[in-house]
Amino acid sequence: MSAAGSRSQNRHWLLPLALVAVATAPLVAQALTIRTVADALHVQARGFSFIEGPVLTRLREGRSVRIDFEMTVLSKPEGPVVKQTMQGFTLSFDLWEERYAVSRIGSPPRSISHLRPRDAETWCLENLTLPVSSLGFSRDTPFWIRLAYHVPDIGPEASEAPGERYTLRGLIDRLSRRREEADLAKSVDAGPFRLP
Amino acid sequence: MRTLALLFVILGLPLAAANAQEADAPEGAIIDVVEMSGFSLYSLSPGLQKDINSLVGAPFSREGLNQLASRIEQEQPDVVAAVRGVSRPDGKARVIFLVARISDDTNLAENINARYIVETVDIEGSYNEISQQLRDDLQKLVGRRLDTEEAERLQERLKTELPGRAVARRISKGSQTGRIRVVFEIFEEPWIRFVPPKSKLVYHSQQGWSGVLDIPITASHSRHRFTAGVVFNDIDDLIEEYSGFRLAFESRVIGTERFGARLEFSRYNESWEDATLTALASSSGVPELYRNRLTFEPTATFAFNSSVRISGGVSLSELESLSNSPNSQMANAWVLGISGDHLWKGSNEVRQRAEASYQLRAAIDGLGSDLVYKRHLGQARYQIDQGRSTAIASLSLGYITGDAPLFERFSLGNSTTLRGWDKYDIAPLGGERMFHSTVEYRFYNVGMFFDTGSVWDRNSDSKLRYSTGFGVHTDNFFLTLGFPLNNNHDSGPIFMAGVRF
Repeated sequence: MSAAGSRSQNRHWLLPLALVAVATAPLVAQALTIRTVADALHVQARGFSFIEGPVLTRLREGRSVRIDFEMTVLSKPEGPVVKQTMQGFTLSFDLWEERYAVSRIGSPPRSISHLRPRDAETWCLENLTLPVSSLGFSRDTPFWIRLAYHVPDIGPEASEAPGERYTLRGLIDRLSRRREEADLAKSVDAGPFRLP
Repeated sequence: MRTLALLFVILGLPLAAANAQEADAPEGAIIDVVEMSGFSLYSLSPGLQKDINSLVGAPFSREGLNQLASRIEQEQPDVVAAVRGVSRPDGKARVIFLVARISDDTNLAENINARYIVETVDIEGSYNEISQQLRDDLQKLVGRRLDTEEAERLQERLKTELPGRAVARRISKGSQTGRIRVVFEIFEEPWIRFVPPKSKLVYHSQQGWSGVLDIPITASHSRHRFTAGVVFNDIDDLIEEYSGFRLAFESRVIGTERFGARLEFSRYNESWEDATLTALASSSGVPELYRNRLTFEPTATFAFNSSVRISGGVSLSELESLSNSPNSQMANAWVLGISGDHLWKGSNEVRQRAEASYQLRAAIDGLGSDLVYKRHLGQARYQIDQGRSTAIASLSLGYITGDAPLFERFSLGNSTTLRGWDKYDIAPLGGERMFHSTVEYRFYNVGMFFDTGSVWDRNSDSKLRYSTGFGVHTDNFFLTLGFPLNNNHDSGPIFMAGVRF
């Protein structure tokens, strides 16, 4: 007969709650810092990587990837939007140089090449700015920032080919990687900040 | 930088055409003129300026010049640089550095590999139906700088000429430095899909652990697949707790993509919960328990299109009696199913997916079945994703007539249904009727759900049960705390966690 006949009646569910908290912790663990250069508010994000997963796969196949960024200044956590800016970038990977190139979409266009992955990510954030004067904040006004990106048009062929997930290799890949959709969009909130 | 000798990029090609009468400078020819096109020499560092100026009077070296072009790019990462050496009538060499800003060239800004010359264009996969005109146009990419827009247009034309297939494009290095190979990959999008693996490691705070490992073995893009599965212990799926193995062979294309087949053989050893044994002692009309379950299930599937499929076959099961071994009973059923699914990809990142299926399992005398019954199961699921939000709604309805064995009876209260309830508290023998619905909302990977369901027998009353809870859900991993809402007993929440893959 079943050993499970003496099923546990354990009612201590604080441990699961703690596990929930631990599992969700990575969502808020990324750190944002801000700096101002003249009238431009810049954001720096440690651990906010986006050249990975299906984006990296597509780049390594010599294809370009568009990534749209959004920086939002909030007056409270999850609160009203004070100001928002959006900027798109096109990334590609130079197959012979084995370095990344980034182009800022829009006017005026700017491009750069020969970058390592982290440098390419940093360059994108450096080109995402908000005018400090448009915020209307005094130096002691607290505010919060939401930084987000998404990859709008990555094709299904960029992620995995039909049938691939059913190979042993595909199975191992699925076990070892994060959900792909999570690699195509990310957002992080931080604050309070004050203008330096 | 590796050599850019083959790059007559940017301004290079027009310049080369204009100077077509001028031959390339030979190695060792003395350089008497150095020019820079499209860029000011004085924008470079003094050291690099000096090295470029010192070329005058030096012997022509392709390798050395390429290294200088590389240094220009490293100092000025917003440009690309190439070098051209032209032979002059007096035998000396004229060197031109061709420099251009990436942002001034739409193709380069779109993809930095547009600086390279296409060496070959290849097509991988099944492409016999492609027109000669399209083949010719594909080959026109060869020998030119990569035109990403033209490559995109050709990819769309391939999709048009190959309906029902996916077309991907990738670029790889060519055989020589500065050359690239463009590959268009054609994939068949199968109308009949393989049955997903059921691998899992699941913990339920009331029911314990379940562990299943399915190992699918197939070549990538294969039409056939073999699966070997080991069920270490599964108490999550059915009212019985079982372990054993299964082997399955599937073919999703037999002559045509509309027709597929599947064979599965399994052997499981059963064990039973005390609650089930107690309930069985006071119940009539439920077939006897079994210690082993041996099943052979051949089925065939026909696809009307990529969304709708119908399948049919038989399921032959031998159930070795628990109390009267080695006697056994046969549960042999016709299996008939129809399923459909559709995915909508709208604007604003909205993705909607709808799935519906109905299955009938009819065990009759004609198949030599000792147990005669019919089992109907209808299921529907809808999911909408927008940005970071996901909403899911699902509905299941089940109905059994006759004397169905325990593995066919419905149960609710596991890691996917009536989360927060224990199925052995609801119906330790399972039931002949079943209703279940779920509404779930997830933001990021954190979700909340509300489950409703009832499982009952034909001669008993139905009682609707509710549960709610929250947890973390990723593609593979879940961690859930479920609360029963209308439980009269003093039972707390149920914790569930695990991976499915």
